[in-house]
Amino acid sequence: MGRRKKIVQECERLMDKPENIRNIAIAAHVDHGKTTLSDNLLAGAGMISDETAGQQLAMDTEEDEQERGITIDAANVSMTHEWNDKNHLINLIDTPGHVDFGGDVTRAMRAVDGALVVVDAVEGAMPQTETVLRQALREGVKPALFINKVDRLINELQEGPEEMQRRLLDVIDDVNELIRGMLEEEDYDWSVSVEDGTVAFGSALYKWGVSMPSMEETGISFGDIIEMERNDERQELHERTPLSDVVLDMVAEHFPNPLQAQPSRVPRIWRGDAESDLAHQMRDVEDEGDVVFMVTDIGMDPHAGEIATGRVFSGTIKKGQELFVSGTAGKNRVQSVGIFMGGEREELDRGVPAGNIAAVTGLRDAIAGSTVSSVEMTPFESIEHISEPVITKSVEAKSMDDLPKLIQTLQQVAKEDPTIRVEINEDTGEHLISGQGELHLEVITTRIEKNQGIPVKTGEPIVVYREAPQGASREVEGVSPNRHNKFYISVEPLSQDIVDAIQLGEISNDMPELERREALQEAGMDKDTSQNFEHLFGTNILIDDTKGIQHLNETMELVIEGMEEALNDGPLAAEPVQGALLRLHDARLHEDTIHRGPAQVIPAAREAVHRALIDSEVRLMEPIQDVRIDVPSEYMGSASGEIQGRRGRVDDMFQEGDLMVIEGIAPVEEMIGFSSDIRSATEGRASWNTENAGFRVLVDNLQREKIGEIRERKGMKQELSPAIDYI
Amino acid sequence: MLDFIGLGLYDERSITVEGHEALSECDRAFAEFYTSKLAGATVEELEEYHDVDIEVRDRAGVEQEPEPILDAAEGGEVAFLTAGDTMISTTHVDLRLRAHERGIDTRVFHGVTAQSAASGLTGLQNYRFGKSVTLPFPYAHGGEDVPKSLVEGLEDNRERGLHTLVYLDIKTEREEYMSADVAAGMLAEGWADELAVAVARAGSPEPIVAADRLSTLAEREFGDPLHLLVVPGDLHHLEAEALKAFGGAPAELVAVE
Ligand SMILES: Nc1nc2c(ncn2[C@@H]2O[C@H](COP(=O)(O)OP(=O)(O)O)[C@@H](O)[C@H]2O)c(=O)[nH]1
Ligand SMILES: [Mg+2]
Repeated sequence: MGRRKKIVQECERLMDKPENIRNIAIAAHVDHGKTTLSDNLLAGAGMISDETAGQQLAMDTEEDEQERGITIDAANVSMTHEWNDKNHLINLIDTPGHVDFGGDVTRAMRAVDGALVVVDAVEGAMPQTETVLRQALREGVKPALFINKVDRLINELQEGPEEMQRRLLDVIDDVNELIRGMLEEEDYDWSVSVEDGTVAFGSALYKWGVSMPSMEETGISFGDIIEMERNDERQELHERTPLSDVVLDMVAEHFPNPLQAQPSRVPRIWRGDAESDLAHQMRDVEDEGDVVFMVTDIGMDPHAGEIATGRVFSGTIKKGQELFVSGTAGKNRVQSVGIFMGGEREELDRGVPAGNIAAVTGLRDAIAGSTVSSVEMTPFESIEHISEPVITKSVEAKSMDDLPKLIQTLQQVAKEDPTIRVEINEDTGEHLISGQGELHLEVITTRIEKNQGIPVKTGEPIVVYREAPQGASREVEGVSPNRHNKFYISVEPLSQDIVDAIQLGEISNDMPELERREALQEAGMDKDTSQNFEHLFGTNILIDDTKGIQHLNETMELVIEGMEEALNDGPLAAEPVQGALLRLHDARLHEDTIHRGPAQVIPAAREAVHRALIDSEVRLMEPIQDVRIDVPSEYMGSASGEIQGRRGRVDDMFQEGDLMVIEGIAPVEEMIGFSSDIRSATEGRASWNTENAGFRVLVDNLQREKIGEIRERKGMKQELSPAIDYI
Repeated sequence: MLDFIGLGLYDERSITVEGHEALSECDRAFAEFYTSKLAGATVEELEEYHDVDIEVRDRAGVEQEPEPILDAAEGGEVAFLTAGDTMISTTHVDLRLRAHERGIDTRVFHGVTAQSAASGLTGLQNYRFGKSVTLPFPYAHGGEDVPKSLVEGLEDNRERGLHTLVYLDIKTEREEYMSADVAAGMLAEGWADELAVAVARAGSPEPIVAADRLSTLAEREFGDPLHLLVVPGDLHHLEAEALKAFGGAPAELVAVE
């Protein structure tokens, strides 16, 4: 029997023992060593050969990832590890490090109970360390810390034992400060410590690692490590204290198993009836209960088609089952069920029981985030997407023949990654994809070209703008083309608290009315207004303040349609409107349905909304990014120049280790091309990071110019409504 | 001068003599056929019969950009044509007001309209009609079935013993005309056994009038458009007679106490 086969058999055996299972993710700032660490763990488990660990990057399954050396898709793998004389099944999900892929990270967190946070000893905690930690803690996932690249402290920075320990303790303090800040409102403390064994150190590159328990066991001290590193005895160091054992011991000892985790995680991510049978089955990891499977990722396999990966919370998911998929009618039939071994799936006809990560085919209607179940149920809370797309690119097939395939691929891409938005235009063949950043889109288009073999032409990246009201408007009138119908609408800005609540999914159209009213009031909306809530669209709310108008009920659908059109294409440059509170004060309607049909009401409502927005001095908003640059001090001037020269603002500069850190913000538009500019400005010595930071009002002296540019690009006429006289 | 001329119910000859004379003398003639149309004549036939060129305008060309019509009327004799009467169900009072605002004189040449036919062909008395309603195609009003306001209108009338004229949706641009059997089928959901009268091709040489249960009407076919439907309220004895005689109403349905 081959080695692989043996491992599969062992995994199968362990799958049925939830107390021996650990579902974990590795999360880190880009380049801190996640992929290298994953390879170590795989090699330790005998999944790949020891020699290739560190080079093979087995988790980077997509070709473009291996080329770029960054991890993009949350790939998955199962392995076994013996701890305390008992074998354990470790289901590992690798998560992307670049913040452009933030959506993937959050989804991966949903499936796991423990997060191994990797931090580079030299760089320390970085902005994305904070982001991934926040994502983990918000989902109720327990952290442990691995400080990587300790070899660099020894060899590059020539640090002695004391200096080194001080530096490592600083890293731990920083991470703990983050954790405590994020858990302020919770009654548990998940800070990590060397003494507890929730921190390990080592070198993923040279495959050695230590922790307090391991040092006690092996008797290897920091002094020994320094000596062996310096004397080039790394292989021996690896053999005496292998990284994978140290880290997997920590995983097995400190991360909760599904039996321990699910009772607290289920209420956190599921709002169904806590007393129902289903709730009990999920909390108890009941493998004979109803099937509940939460999809965290949809991948594509050239042979098997779409593969839904996720966590089985209850029951045993098996081939041939007919399962409900949340948000869709009817059922899907499970074609195959398996687990991941490295980049490959291993199908298991016996199915995958509760508490495990499964790879399932046949769930046609599932998207990342779907709840799949054998009984109809309240779906899991939708996964929060922290940032909306801010950049768009057009994609066109070079050859007409590829058109249908391209459309199919784009739809697939949107399904796999909810942070991507795709707009298909069958007429022009020029489709639009929007995502989190320049790199995000680049990766997607490369994937279409390489994996699908569709040569494409892409346009220049285009920044997505917003339009937002700046004050309260008067009550304005919108008249239908036949002049028999009139609508009276005003608009005012929504408070940031309410916008936040909307973005966190605390307010939605399909929630129970009373609950919504409470949520709105909690976010600061007054009682009367919250009672007249009519419709939510994007981050805009329509309030119906009318009283007893005959026929308005059946016209409201059309009013909403007109309002949505008006908000999708704002009055300035047809960009989406955000943060508007619209009030319908009054309406005059024609007696007969035909004369207040769509052709009349939609344009009237649209006109009223646009006129109200203009009266509220609507302005163009541009997306901005937080920028952080780490650079040797001699390049500080040129690096901060790169921010300032981009209509940016430097907020802080400080020393960290031997590097200078520059923090600031800059508009996304100006950040296009930043990557190569900063490289040449600093001769490649800078490392940098950006994070989307929402939208801000574009300065007045650029408003008209930018609006003009967008209108020109969209083929709109240049003249603005004469009422727009305030910019 | 802007003349609003109703073309009447069916073909080029349904217009009044007065309307015909005013039309033949005008400098330019505009028409709209999105609110209704003549089932028995094409625009060419109209042009030939009245010896004029007719410029047909779509909804936007009347409601949003009426200027060409008004400009022409400012400097000359202009006719604005619709099927039926320009002011009844087609509601072009807005255009007349716009002309008035610009100081343009207007005249109205009445046309025979569906309302005349609803009384005339069925024998139901115009005094006893309540509010009219229009039954839209389900896709056109965004709902799935019969709009609530229509149901309310109908029930209000019935409570007061009044007849209801139900106009049937037409989408000329898509060449879709709701037929009386389809309309009866939609209404039969709530009132399967109620009496209704289908009227097809009013104004043509061979109009059809059929009085029966809604569920029965839903099973029948009434041929080419246009159709309308009447839901009678309480019947006067002569109305009952007329429905039996001209609409073949089953006796038990129209019994008058
Ligand atoms: N010196 C040193 N380099 C490392 C270590 N771990 C990873 N690297 C290097 O750091 C870079 C980024 O590693 P990778 O695993 O791809 O990081 P990821 O982006 O977090 O997945 C690669 O060039 C690795 O070879 C380590 O322990 N020591
Ligand atoms: Mg990686």
